[in-house]
Amino acid sequence: MIRLVFILFLFVAQMGAAQSIDADLLQIKERMDGVKQFSATITLNLEVPFINMPTKSAKVNYAQGKKMMFSSSDFVMLPKRGLDFSLSEIFKYPFITVDRGFETRNGKSLKVINVIPTDKRSELALATLYMDVKAKRMVESEINTRKEGSYTLFMQYASVKDILPSYVEATFAIERLKIPLNFMGKDTKIDRKKMRSMETKTGKIKMQITDYDIMYK
Amino acid sequence: MKSLLLAESMKIAKQSKTYYALGAIFLIELLILITAYYQGSTILDLLLDNLKQSFYFEGDLLNGNLIMYIVLNSLWFNVPLILMIVTSGVLTDEYKDGTLQTVMLQAVKKWKFMLAKYVIAVCFTLFVIIFMMISTCVLAYSLFGKGDLVVYLNTLNFFETYDAFHRICLAFASGAIAMVFYCTVSITLAVVIKEAAKTWIASALFLVITNLLLKVDFGLKVVNDYFFPKLIDTWQQLFYYETDWPHILSNNMVLIAYSIALMILGIVVFHKKDIG
Repeated sequence: MIRLVFILFLFVAQMGAAQSIDADLLQIKERMDGVKQFSATITLNLEVPFINMPTKSAKVNYAQGKKMMFSSSDFVMLPKRGLDFSLSEIFKYPFITVDRGFETRNGKSLKVINVIPTDKRSELALATLYMDVKAKRMVESEINTRKEGSYTLFMQYASVKDILPSYVEATFAIERLKIPLNFMGKDTKIDRKKMRSMETKTGKIKMQITDYDIMYK
Repeated sequence: MKSLLLAESMKIAKQSKTYYALGAIFLIELLILITAYYQGSTILDLLLDNLKQSFYFEGDLLNGNLIMYIVLNSLWFNVPLILMIVTSGVLTDEYKDGTLQTVMLQAVKKWKFMLAKYVIAVCFTLFVIIFMMISTCVLAYSLFGKGDLVVYLNTLNFFETYDAFHRICLAFASGAIAMVFYCTVSITLAVVIKEAAKTWIASALFLVITNLLLKVDFGLKVVNDYFFPKLIDTWQQLFYYETDWPHILSNNMVLIAYSIALMILGIVVFHKKDIG
C-alpha cells in the first residue's frame, strides 16, 4: 500500500512538473517584455519558386500590446508569421511545455521545448522552440498552426547582448497559384504535370533587420 | 519623292478614318481605365488570393504601371486590326475612287508612289503608338499613380516602379515594330486584293492566324525562332524576370527585315500590275 501511494505521489509530481511552463521560456518572455517599443528597417528577400521579386525594404514599428505596423514606399510582401518577436502569439492562451533536452545547432547548445496549448481557442497546435538559455533568447522555432499550416523560424543576432534578431529566416509551405486563364500572357505555357507537382511548395523569406531604435520599459 | 510624301500625308490627315482610328484607340484606353477603376482591386485579389494567406501586402499593385501593361495587351488584336483597316485604305481608297489612274497619268514613278504610301503608313502607325503611349501614360499615372508592376508569365514577376516604366517604354517601342509589320502586311494585301472590304477581311484573317500560330510548336528551332508569328510577342518578353535582351533585339531586327521584305514585295507586285 505504501509502495502504491509512493508511486502515485511520484506520478502526480511528474505530471505537475510537466505541466508547468518552462522557466527559461518565461525568462525569455520577461526579457522580451522589457521592450516597450521599437522601430527598425527590414530588408526582405523572398524565395518562392513561382514568384520573382526584387529585394525590398520596409520600416517596421512595434509597440507593446499593439499590432506590428509596416510602411514602405514600394510594394512589399511581409510574412504573416515570423515577426512575432514578443512571443505574444504563444502566450495568448494557456499552454504547457515539455522539456525535450538539449540539441547542438551551429556549434551552440540549445534547449528544446515543446509548447502545447491547452485552450481550444489557440491558433497554435504545437510549437517546438530552440532556446539559447545563456543568452536568454530564441534561436529557432517550428510552429504548427491549426488553420494556417506550419512554418519554421531561424534567428541570428548581431551581438551576444541583443534581444532582437538582426536576421530572421522564415520557411513556410505555400500553395501554388491558381491563375485564371485570362490573366496569362499569350505565350504562357500550361504544363499540367508541372502544375500538379507544384500543388504545395516551400517558400522562404529572408529578413535583414537593421537600424533598431529600441525603447525599454 | 518629297511631294509624294507630302501628298500622302495630306491624304491621311484629311480622311475621317484616321480620326475614327484615333478615337477608337482612345475609347479602348478609357474602357480599360474604367474597368480597372471599378474592378481592378477585385481582379488583383483573385490573382493574389493564395499569397494573401501567408503574407501581408503593403502598397498598391493597382497603379499606373499595371494599367499601362493592360493597355499594352491591346497590341495583340484591337490596335493592329484598327491600324490594318486604316493603312490598307491608303491604297484601296485610291482604287475605289479611281484616283490611282489620275496619279499614274502624271510623271510619277510607280515604285516611288508605292514607297511613299508605305512610308506614310509606317509614320502613321508610329504616330498612333506614340499617341496611345502618351495618352495612356497621362491618364494612368494621373488617376492611379506610380507603383510596382505585377505580371504573370509562367511565374509571378514583380518589377519596381522605375524598372517597370523602363520596360513599358521599351515594350511600346517593340510593339510599334510589330504594328509596323502588320501595317506593311495590310498594304501589301491591298496591292494584291485592291478592294477595301476584301482587304479588311484578309487582314483580319491574317491577324487571327498569326495569333493562333504563335502558340504552335513547329518542331524546328529555326521556324520557332524566326517565323513571323513567333516574333509578334517580342514586346511581352520584356516582362520576363530573366530578360533575354539579345533575343529581344534579334527578334525586332528580324521583324523589321520582314517588314522591309513585304514592302519590297508590295512595290514589285504593284510595279508589275496593270492599273485598272
